[in-house]
Amino acid sequence: MAKRPLEGIRVADFSWFGAGPIAGNTLSTYGAEVIRVESETKIDALRRVHPFAMNPDGTFKGGYNVSGYFNNFNAGKLSLQLNLNTEKGQEIAYRLLEKCDIFLTNFTPRVIDKWNLHYHQIAAVNPRIIAAYAPMQGMEGPHRDYLGFGAVLTPVTGISEMSGFPNRPPFGVGTNYPDYVINPGHTVTAMMAALRYRNRTGKGQCIELPQLESVVNTLGTAVVERLANGTSPTRTGNRSLNAAPHGAFRCADDPDSVDSPDRWVVLACRDDAEWQRAAGALGHPEAATGPKFATFAARKQNEDELESLINSWTKDLKAEDACAALQAAGVPAGVVQNSQDLLDRDEHMRSRGYYQYVEHPEAGREAHDGPAFVLSETPGYIAAPAPLMGEHTMDVCERIIGLNMDEVADLLAEGVLL
Amino acid sequence: MTEQALAGVRVVELTDELGSYCGRLLADLGAEVIKVEPPGGARQRNSAPFLAGHEDDPDASLAFWVHNTSKQSVVLDLETEEGRAAARKLALSADILVEDNPVGFLAARGLGYQDLHAAKPSLVYTSITGFGQTGPHAGWAFSDIVGQAMGGIMTLAGELVDPPNMIYGHQADVSASIQAAQGALMALLHAEATGQGQLVDVSAQEAISMAQETAMQTWDFQKKNRVRVGGAGGIPIAIPGSGTLKTKDGYVLLYIIAPAGGDLPELVDWMREEGKAADLDEEPYASLISQLNMGWLTQLMGNPEDTMKYIPLLPHVNEVIAAFFAEKTSREAYETGQERRLLIGIVSTPKDLAENTQLRARDWFVQFPEAPAGKPVEFPGPPYRLSETPAIISRPPRLGEHTAAVLGALT
Repeated sequence: MAKRPLEGIRVADFSWFGAGPIAGNTLSTYGAEVIRVESETKIDALRRVHPFAMNPDGTFKGGYNVSGYFNNFNAGKLSLQLNLNTEKGQEIAYRLLEKCDIFLTNFTPRVIDKWNLHYHQIAAVNPRIIAAYAPMQGMEGPHRDYLGFGAVLTPVTGISEMSGFPNRPPFGVGTNYPDYVINPGHTVTAMMAALRYRNRTGKGQCIELPQLESVVNTLGTAVVERLANGTSPTRTGNRSLNAAPHGAFRCADDPDSVDSPDRWVVLACRDDAEWQRAAGALGHPEAATGPKFATFAARKQNEDELESLINSWTKDLKAEDACAALQAAGVPAGVVQNSQDLLDRDEHMRSRGYYQYVEHPEAGREAHDGPAFVLSETPGYIAAPAPLMGEHTMDVCERIIGLNMDEVADLLAEGVLL
Repeated sequence: MTEQALAGVRVVELTDELGSYCGRLLADLGAEVIKVEPPGGARQRNSAPFLAGHEDDPDASLAFWVHNTSKQSVVLDLETEEGRAAARKLALSADILVEDNPVGFLAARGLGYQDLHAAKPSLVYTSITGFGQTGPHAGWAFSDIVGQAMGGIMTLAGELVDPPNMIYGHQADVSASIQAAQGALMALLHAEATGQGQLVDVSAQEAISMAQETAMQTWDFQKKNRVRVGGAGGIPIAIPGSGTLKTKDGYVLLYIIAPAGGDLPELVDWMREEGKAADLDEEPYASLISQLNMGWLTQLMGNPEDTMKYIPLLPHVNEVIAAFFAEKTSREAYETGQERRLLIGIVSTPKDLAENTQLRARDWFVQFPEAPAGKPVEFPGPPYRLSETPAIISRPPRLGEHTAAVLGALT
């Protein structure tokens, strides 16, 4: 196998839930040795929530090691169980941090206070370390200790106000959306920049990623419209200021689509030519040139009618067929896919091998999100499944931290490695 | 002068909507990012909304601004010999190239990965497309909503009776760009260590699909599809202390029954202090409220007799709580509630964000003293704070602003 770009980099991953562990997952995929530090005294709740792997008899497997939610974000990591509520636990943490290149956490500043894991404390023992903190609001400021997680961050950052149909309340987007790409992706971007700086100067540094700032940064033009123009835009459903039609249109139901038989095709017509091709592809070329729809301005003016018309064209079509016809005409189009589609039915995803399957000792064979960027010469891959809770405690203590077996036995007996 | 992490790195980008945020991340971190644009600018330059009073001015598109800070702009016409020759020369002066053109477009103009890699083996060539460089859909047309649909997140957003919802803010474009920035920088570290460049291939469909949350594993393990559950969260009855509630001037999201922070009795304490607890302190409501949290609810569902006893009480509790929040501003509900350790999120409007106490206290916003269209404006700050090498945001370039200087300096 080709060498991966982060081989030789060791990461102390003191994070939990989604936003932190996914950053560590990316580092692990690209070759870093990532040590997930966790404790039964403050367990990552994702170890205990659905979806759980199943037994052949249809019952759910139990325990801390069979949640697909947790396992997908922690592939290839080592698990060290360490109780940071004890003084000795904090001492061990410091001995680990001396041996690491990167520290990662998304605990709140209150917890960082309690565990003595602030940057100035860590840098005192390891000035070369790159320490990344990703709290919800920031390490300082009047809202420093506000509570939250992805589902609360979604409204606080403006995503809820700006998404969905205007006749509905701003109830959000159905998931803890910012946890999965925006926050971990920004975190790793900053880490890579800091690694480059360290390569050139030998200096480590502190990265603070207030999730609020990270997410508002990606909120399109909404805040700039307020700041520059004094307006306060709101949600407009699936419509666009720059394309019409632009939305999701109902197609024929698909009984093979489990639990979600309703099928939809999306399309975006960004100019008159795309619209003419779309109307043609859906079998109604004449509709494209009438006065109500011929120009962008006219289509925006008559958008309700335009959307009803397209719905009447698509309602009996198979979504995949409508999409294929539109794409054949060069119109941006897609099917609203569910996970069954992505894992089993999307031939394109399969041919690219995005999902990677690994054998987990308790969960069994499980799918993982693969690397979301592909490096041609130094590809990332999932080298091992997610660790069992505490699976590598002995290994990390002895091989990395340098404790002997007696010391480890004492720490186990004292409840430090819990 | 502050040193920046990517000082000395030259990036040439040939991007429009899909890839320009990648270039922005690199530019704000200190790389010299030169954006090659077609005459008149590409789609993003000509996209609404615009700075008020400057409609259709390619230097005043806010859609362009938000993804193109800190860059230089060079106009080249790739449909001419001279344009292609200059673009090639420029590309070969770069450490990183970022592009988001249809597969094969640049190769047909002598600017493909194979060509440039042969001429400069250390070049990190970053291609961002809807579906990646390989596979049966590699040639498909793309726009943001297509990535959100095909990547599996729209199916999770919205009410079941409505069409699936797109998430605002070009999230497939942004996700692809963020994935690409990580890949480009990893490849840069590798190139700086070994001299070996490579192709970074990003598919927007793949880039956003991690945001399916648990839906992917739910199918993998249990052969069930998660579907969109809308405002009610898929629960047949509204649970007190959870959900999106109306305020005097907007909405807040309550998650009080979650394990973090205070529980319902702490909310009722607050309501009582303001004389709004009504009969929630009396039976049968008081004993219900004292135990109502997520764990208790889960247990309750397994006991039909208790369920029948408590469920009829919930609507009244919901009404009293709703009436309490209906008389508060969103900001008051959020800030006072959070200070009382209650898990409440404001549904921020753009105005709320511009006035957000935390963002203002931390001086997050930046100033463009001279915005491209002439007027000073305030602008959102960077996604992260690096203690030694901060991200610095400077204004986006005017179309072709740096053409003469950049091309003149090419030898």
